[in-house]
Amino acid sequence: MQKDLESKFLVDFEKNQNIVHKICRIYTTNQDAHNDLFQEVTIQLWKNYGKFRGEAKFSTWMYRVALNTAISLYRKSTRTIKTLDISDISYKIQSLEYDNTEEEQLKSLYKAIQELSDIEKALIFLYLENKPYKEISESLGITQVNARVKMNRAKDKLRNILNP
Amino acid sequence: MDLESYKKTWENQPKETKSVSKIDIYKMAHSKSSSVVKWIFIIGILEVAFWSGLNLLVPDGYMKVYKDFNLVDFLNYYFILHYIVIALFLILFYKNYASVSAVDNTRTLMNKILRVRKTVKYYVYYNLGGFVLVTIIVNSVMFSNPEMMTETMNPQHLNVNMDTILAVTLVTQIIVLLVMLLILWLFYKVTYGALLKKLTKNYKELDSLDHLN
Repeated sequence: MQKDLESKFLVDFEKNQNIVHKICRIYTTNQDAHNDLFQEVTIQLWKNYGKFRGEAKFSTWMYRVALNTAISLYRKSTRTIKTLDISDISYKIQSLEYDNTEEEQLKSLYKAIQELSDIEKALIFLYLENKPYKEISESLGITQVNARVKMNRAKDKLRNILNP
Repeated sequence: MDLESYKKTWENQPKETKSVSKIDIYKMAHSKSSSVVKWIFIIGILEVAFWSGLNLLVPDGYMKVYKDFNLVDFLNYYFILHYIVIALFLILFYKNYASVSAVDNTRTLMNKILRVRKTVKYYVYYNLGGFVLVTIIVNSVMFSNPEMMTETMNPQHLNVNMDTILAVTLVTQIIVLLVMLLILWLFYKVTYGALLKKLTKNYKELDSLDHLN
């Protein structure tokens, strides 16, 4: 039973791990911290997997647990370097077929997101991931109206950082 | 450039180049968590141990003094009550800790984490309050009987000014209490301050949303 659960978890997680990587990228600023947060998210996902009954999609459930870990549970590693290491991010998004301007754009987007607060990061991340307001408000535990208000502010802030 | 075009860029971003294998996921899933809650729990347990241990440190000499003043019964009842409270506290503390789950919505989760911390805080308040109260009661009983006090504190009847000694005793007790409070305050500033700074900030930000409308 435990073995079945475990192998199902590993398959689900491996398939959807990119969600966690993206979250680690916006909440940490270097590879060590990225790995640290990734590990803590993995621990939390596995710890709660027994209670995951598949009412929601695994990925939806994963968004919530991973964001919660980044915002509330993760104790910033002492190794975390405050300033953003651009080369680190460019290393992460390197790809041969990747369009160069798009790469630049993505880099500046990540860099801009880094300047937001933890809550704003979550809101913007869920917006970029195309999540509906219902899911955003449920995930954060705030009303949809409040989610919209806060989202608009976060978007304004992001716009200002991107186009000063 | 507007946000929508950045969104397109976001959607087109390549997958993580260093993807994690199932074996590594397995290893990570079974490693030890170093989450904020875990640390609050560990520190909480240490605090319970510290405050409970403090009671065992009462020197034997004191017991004789309490006996002289017929305070032993009072103190025994107090300790029984005290251990019941500790037991209740431990149950509450563990229940709060166990209720923390990353599956909750962010706001509930933060609320629960802060509740674990608050349980410990109230426990410390209870201990401090109890400590102060018992000290006041014991002192009132002792100081209301100066002859006995003199007898107990100066059994050899040395030629000293008892008023001065009693005053010094009282002042010393107050200073010890103040120093304890200062140490405690510093301890909290450092440990919980470091642990909960980020969480409290995030909680406030999320909570402030509720007052927008």
